[in-house]
Amino acid sequence: MAKCDLTIELDEPERIYRGGEKVSGRVYVSVDANVRCKALEVQSGWRTHGKGNVAKKTIETVTLFDGDWTAGDNLSYRFELTVSEWPPSYHGNFVNVDHYIDARVKIPWAFDPKAAKEFIVRPLELPDLAKTDEQKASEILTNSLGIIVGAFALVAVVLILGAFVANPIAGFFGLVVFSPVALFLGGKFLLPRWLLGNVETELLTHQLTPGESILARLSFEPRRRVTVNAITAKLSGSEVCVSGSGSNRTTHRNEFYDETRVLENATVLEAGVGKTFELEFPVPGDAPYSFDLPDNDLKWSIDLHVDIPRWPDWKRSLSFQVVPGQTSQSSGDPVSQSPSVEAESTSDMGLTFEEAAGHLSQSLEDDSQREVLVEAVVGITFEIEAVVERRLLYSGPDDPHVYEDGYAVWAHHTAPRLPLVLYIPHQLGDEFEQSGSSGRRFRGTVLGWDDQNDRLQIKVLVE
Amino acid sequence: MRGHCENPLHNEFRWPGANLSRNPFGELTRQERISLACVEVDKIIEHLRTSESFERTSRFHRLRAYQLIGECGRGKSSHLFGLMKAIPSACYVYLPEDGPCPTIPEAEVLLIDEAQRLPRHIRKTIFAAGIPLVIATHRDLTRPLRRAGYHVQSETIGLTLSPEFLALLLNRRIEASRRDAAAPVPSLSTEKSRELIGQFGTNVREIERHLYDLVQAEVNSHGEMRLND
Repeated sequence: MAKCDLTIELDEPERIYRGGEKVSGRVYVSVDANVRCKALEVQSGWRTHGKGNVAKKTIETVTLFDGDWTAGDNLSYRFELTVSEWPPSYHGNFVNVDHYIDARVKIPWAFDPKAAKEFIVRPLELPDLAKTDEQKASEILTNSLGIIVGAFALVAVVLILGAFVANPIAGFFGLVVFSPVALFLGGKFLLPRWLLGNVETELLTHQLTPGESILARLSFEPRRRVTVNAITAKLSGSEVCVSGSGSNRTTHRNEFYDETRVLENATVLEAGVGKTFELEFPVPGDAPYSFDLPDNDLKWSIDLHVDIPRWPDWKRSLSFQVVPGQTSQSSGDPVSQSPSVEAESTSDMGLTFEEAAGHLSQSLEDDSQREVLVEAVVGITFEIEAVVERRLLYSGPDDPHVYEDGYAVWAHHTAPRLPLVLYIPHQLGDEFEQSGSSGRRFRGTVLGWDDQNDRLQIKVLVE
Repeated sequence: MRGHCENPLHNEFRWPGANLSRNPFGELTRQERISLACVEVDKIIEHLRTSESFERTSRFHRLRAYQLIGECGRGKSSHLFGLMKAIPSACYVYLPEDGPCPTIPEAEVLLIDEAQRLPRHIRKTIFAAGIPLVIATHRDLTRPLRRAGYHVQSETIGLTLSPEFLALLLNRRIEASRRDAAAPVPSLSTEKSRELIGQFGTNVREIERHLYDLVQAEVNSHGEMRLND
């Protein structure tokens, strides 16, 4: 049984908060038995729940109390914490995003009592959400798929013919392997092009606010006379999330909005006669904003479809973003622009390892912020004190940092606590093994970050 | 939903109205899975533990291995999570299907999930260390373990699943999502659990996915979770 109970009360529980504002309230502690409280911590942040893997981020943590509580005490502590700028609160069928105040009492040798309280965040504005290079690359890839598929088919044909000449059995084997792939790709990409020619699509608006209209263009000039059942455009909003990992990894998709428009009913398109469709779709006024969180996304798209009877259909999906009302032109992800990142992005050579570890330990749950910090300290040599936890039996095939005949160990920097991987030269192996729990001082160079185990990689230098 | 958007501000009251903080059958963090693991691990610990428990540096036998074999969704990983709760010094390693083999640390007891994916040369290195092992695998690894000198005990997981145990598992998840401890939440009956086993067999993961959709539809349509209708 817990030695104390926690409850959280917000000053304005019904309020809709904006990013960067302060949320205030009180944590009430009801003490059942005398207890040593190592820390009463309160933090603001968000996390997802639903069908996808949980994504979360802590924005601000404060310690409200440490000391002794006596049985029968009923105490309360005020807090005021910063609200995350992004993502917005969202409650769907597969994906949910909630902002929380979490309180936790750290009690030595006992379960930590916890409490949480949600509040709603609806951002009014968002710094530039301009397309990232990745999105642009994906669009270029989509538009170039026909060329890629054509090149693949050509290479496959050349390889199979070559194999037939060199060894007919190998050629036959190649034919068996490539045929289903070629049939699939040909059916999906080449056959519609054979009839419709090069289909051009253009998204004229990449970002819009709820209630605005998305503008797009579809144009093509059929190479042959072709009958179509319909040409349609569908505006769709979907929750896309991923659960599990490895072989258990499953993608779930829930379309919460769709509106289909028929651009052209059943008709015959004449060869050489160009067709152009200007699309203008109003996005609903209460449309939820697009977001892209780890394993939990909300996506909007226009799906174009030319339905050709007894022939593979032509399809293309154009993604766009629904964003809050006032978009500013400042660049970068709002979340990655916290003051701590700005302070650290200059490689200050006067930086101590304690300071670097302090910033890193606060950004362990925020990949983008941590990446910036790690990049800023890579290559810098520090005086470090760390406690060795355990030796590694195997340190991974992509780990080029291990000294020849050297060792890798897991360790941690104590105050603030930061998990480390140390690469130790052979001659220092015994010294580190015998250092025990008291910790050992050494000079080490930061190499990078071990994503799988969330540890800072450090190469230990010989004095 | 077709033709209009659900207002996320209104949906916010959906779970509180059902005295829940979320859909109880959604995805959990690893920490939550560890705390909710409801498995019998005593015989595994018994197999690994030395007789002179606290006199040695380690409380566990070198060259002892316990192998959990079974199909997906039968509880192999849950057993490993249960062991993490019982032996805090144990170290859990998950081997992904694609991508490189992750770092494998030395530990008092090493728990390897999806051990059939260990590349042969790494498997040899790990087994050569002789540290106590509990492995979850789809393929029987008794032979390579024995070749390395291990004394191996194997258990096939998920052959049976009683309605009572399934109800216990699922009700723990509901309890972990309960909002107000003073207000009631429905629980899953043994009868309903029997029905689910009849439909999905011993695949608990599939049962949880089915219940996610069921609860979501119920809470969306009439604001409460009616599991036993």
